[in-house]
Amino acid sequence: MNQTTSRQRKMAYFVGMLVLLAPIIGLGMPGSGTSGGGALARMRSSYDLGESNLGQVDPTSATMNLVLLGLRGIAVNILRMDLDYYKDHKEWSKMRTTTESVILLQPHYIEVWRFLSWNLAYNVSAEWDAVPERFYWVKEGGKFAQRGTQRNQENAELYWDVGKTWSQKVGRSDEWRYFRKYFVKDPDEKSFKGQADPEVNPEMKDNYLVARDWYANANEKELGRGQHVMMRALFRSGPYKALLDYADALQRDVKYEPSSDVIKEKFSRARSIFDEGYAEWVSKYGKERYRTGKAEVFMEADQNDVAALAKENGLDAGVIRREIDFFQKTTNYRYWRERARAEKMPTTAEAHRQLYEGERLYKSGKLSKDPTTGKPGAQEMLEEGMANYAKLLDDFVELRSEDLTVEEGMWGLLIWRKALDLQGKPIPENYPLKWLWEEHQGLVASLQDRFNSMGY
Amino acid sequence: MLAISLQPEEFDLALGVQRWLIVFGTVLLVSLLVSLMASLATYGGTGPARLFGRLGYAACDFMSLSPRRIFAVALLTFREAVRRKALLVFVVFAVLFMFASWFLTGNSERPEQDIEVYVGFVFTTISWLVLLVGGVLSCFGLPEDIRLRSLHTVVTKPVRRNEIVLGRMLGFGSVCTLILVLMGIVGQIWIVRQSQGLTLSCRVPIYGVLKFLDRTGAETSKGLNVGDIVETRGFIEGGTKGAAVFQFRLPKSQPELLRFESRFEAFRTHKGSMDRTIQARYVLSNEEKGLRVPLEKFNVAEFSQNERDVERKISYTNEKTLKKEEVDLYNDLAQDGWLTVHVQCLDRGQYLGASRGDFFVRELPDRSFSAGYWKAMVGVWLMVVLLVMIAVTASCFVKGPVACLLCFCVFVLGQPAHDFMDKLVTGKQVGGGATESLYRLVSQANQTTPLDNQMMERTLKTIDRLPSGSLWIAKHLIPDMRTFSMAAWVGKGLDVPWYSAMLPSLAVALGYILPCVLLGYFSLSLRELESK
Repeated sequence: MNQTTSRQRKMAYFVGMLVLLAPIIGLGMPGSGTSGGGALARMRSSYDLGESNLGQVDPTSATMNLVLLGLRGIAVNILRMDLDYYKDHKEWSKMRTTTESVILLQPHYIEVWRFLSWNLAYNVSAEWDAVPERFYWVKEGGKFAQRGTQRNQENAELYWDVGKTWSQKVGRSDEWRYFRKYFVKDPDEKSFKGQADPEVNPEMKDNYLVARDWYANANEKELGRGQHVMMRALFRSGPYKALLDYADALQRDVKYEPSSDVIKEKFSRARSIFDEGYAEWVSKYGKERYRTGKAEVFMEADQNDVAALAKENGLDAGVIRREIDFFQKTTNYRYWRERARAEKMPTTAEAHRQLYEGERLYKSGKLSKDPTTGKPGAQEMLEEGMANYAKLLDDFVELRSEDLTVEEGMWGLLIWRKALDLQGKPIPENYPLKWLWEEHQGLVASLQDRFNSMGY
Repeated sequence: MLAISLQPEEFDLALGVQRWLIVFGTVLLVSLLVSLMASLATYGGTGPARLFGRLGYAACDFMSLSPRRIFAVALLTFREAVRRKALLVFVVFAVLFMFASWFLTGNSERPEQDIEVYVGFVFTTISWLVLLVGGVLSCFGLPEDIRLRSLHTVVTKPVRRNEIVLGRMLGFGSVCTLILVLMGIVGQIWIVRQSQGLTLSCRVPIYGVLKFLDRTGAETSKGLNVGDIVETRGFIEGGTKGAAVFQFRLPKSQPELLRFESRFEAFRTHKGSMDRTIQARYVLSNEEKGLRVPLEKFNVAEFSQNERDVERKISYTNEKTLKKEEVDLYNDLAQDGWLTVHVQCLDRGQYLGASRGDFFVRELPDRSFSAGYWKAMVGVWLMVVLLVMIAVTASCFVKGPVACLLCFCVFVLGQPAHDFMDKLVTGKQVGGGATESLYRLVSQANQTTPLDNQMMERTLKTIDRLPSGSLWIAKHLIPDMRTFSMAAWVGKGLDVPWYSAMLPSLAVALGYILPCVLLGYFSLSLRELESK
């Protein structure tokens, strides 16, 4: 039989509560501006795990999580199933809203941001037939990842994803020509009045330049918390590669330009961008240090650098060379260095322009020099281009094995041969790039098909 | 590509009634047999006589139902619900609507998509709140009265048990109706406010009958599948004789202008021309007269509605004679009041997807948004009424919390799990029935692959098929709550159709009245009211 009175029991409970409260307060007291708070609050702060340390705090998200108590996981599972259902049934507006709901519940789960952003930009956009609609969904995906960076400001992967969407999806998909144009002039005239979507491209820059900024941010964040996307050297190549891709895109753009002046200007701009890109590639990216299992090296290293690295790492110079070679091959470093070095040369830009102009002249039926104006025809223009191209491939031997470079030269040669054929002229014994034509005979059939399909 | 359009399926009332009679009759028969055996076991030879005597008494109770007493119980129930602060649900409702915009992201570039989200939010919120209030009140009403012995003050009056059950149902139903109407008004105002600058429409579609022609022009049961997981749309090949053939019953009023509205889906097998979307055309035909009237081609806009006005007199170029001719829509093209429209894809190598809901003739003028909205609200109301009926019935034989649990289970089985039950009964469930699933689980066999031992597979499937009759009955005992969801029509700016939405929901709700009242009556009659 319990002998204590009710009052005594209540007092005992009260004392017990006070005793238990002390460690709870000590551990869990929230931090304030002046004090660090309890042990948990201090640890949260020191490991950057607090909501405010991770990024912007969204009161809606916090409310949802609080209201659901321990049922967040179940709610997320149901929402994810709904999301898949809506996607399968092509209920896009509901799918988009469900995406938002998922993210309200999991604002710091990076893979959720990454997957859903990719889903919108790549999967959903492909479901649409009209290119402006596809672009809308690409933007939705990119914007979604951008919002992810605001909620997770220290996470490098989300910044990298945004960069990838603006560079690869906009710049390299089948619709790249339209997407690149829409990136600076949104097709939604009603909302953006001929301007770019300010949420995506407030300064109306080229997509690769916007991507470059995001990649640069990703690199900066990567220094803090690292990343888990890919090999570090590849991850960090983003901003440098984006600049080279920009120059490459300018060269691709000219095929859709009707004016010779604009073509000349774009080739010239591409050359200066390649110049800038080359400088960054070798002096910045090439000098970044990467740790292998054995040593810490950088890719742009001459003999002296190799010797210094060997000494620094306490290893043989041969080992260092092998490590550098490994990084260079993985990142395709040497190709891009040589490509940029070649493309920044005035003769290279001129070779591209002449080959392309030669094709245009052929297309317009101007096969040989105009006797009245003295303007060159397709044959002369292509011969000049071939000579410059031959010089390029002599100076940069590494490019001889690059598919696109070979294809461009072979295409120029094919059209030149057609131009001669139409004029009833024989193919001369010797001509620039003869070795290229003979070496790559396997390509001729497919190029001929392409030529036939173009209806020249 | 637009969302897979709503697929109207006409409800077969005669078949519904037939099924109801089978299920109701079977359950009644089984109950009678069980009762008979129980009476024999309890009272020996006098048992059946006692049982039939009780049934006769019940018949008398039902013959002498008094609307006045039912109304009195209903009024009492209503007052009791108000006293129990059921109307406090409006506070939750108000809070949800005040903060709704926090959770619903507006889309400035695609505001028309937002309407669907707003409508969905309003209907979901209202349904859940009213269901919750109605369910809890109805489940706890009678058990609480029994516990507090306040029911004694009712049963000692000349009120029959069936009148108590009906009165309760009516009372709680009225409370829910009041709440629903008030919330519905607020919800509509909220949608209108949120959709400022947008047109809230209620288009009235006349759906047709769909069949497909393959690339050779031969009739085929369905269109091609281009790899969609959900095979709602059939696809036709562009630049061939392939076509989706729709047959519409034209309005008897023979309006001078018909509006075609379509939401087809395009599928490309090659990049093709990216400057425009895939092109299609309508061809109106009358096979008896050998008439083919092609209308002007159009670019398929997947996002917005493809609208095409067709006047009564149509000028067209005859494809055979290449001469300009004129036809009358009703006198020349229509056959017994039916108009046949062939939809063709014009781009070679590309495909056009169509389903029945993708193309309709639009009745003009459109109705007001309120018409569709309140029709869909009737759907919610019917669902709430059904739940109240089930809850009151459950509260007649179990206590409040158990009744709540029962209602929750019925609701879960009736909505998300009904699809599973359908597949189980029709044998379409991937991985088979219970026995086959168990075997696959134990043998770690994938659900989608055939079993290695074919003999075993056949045996398992046979075992699973044995209880298919009772499964079929069980499936029909659980109300299909999906029938009541009509918000999707309103969200897409369409009128809620009578035959494929309103009628089935009404039939489902009506079908449960008699079984619920009977079950509630007998349960309450047999219940020991002194027992708490």
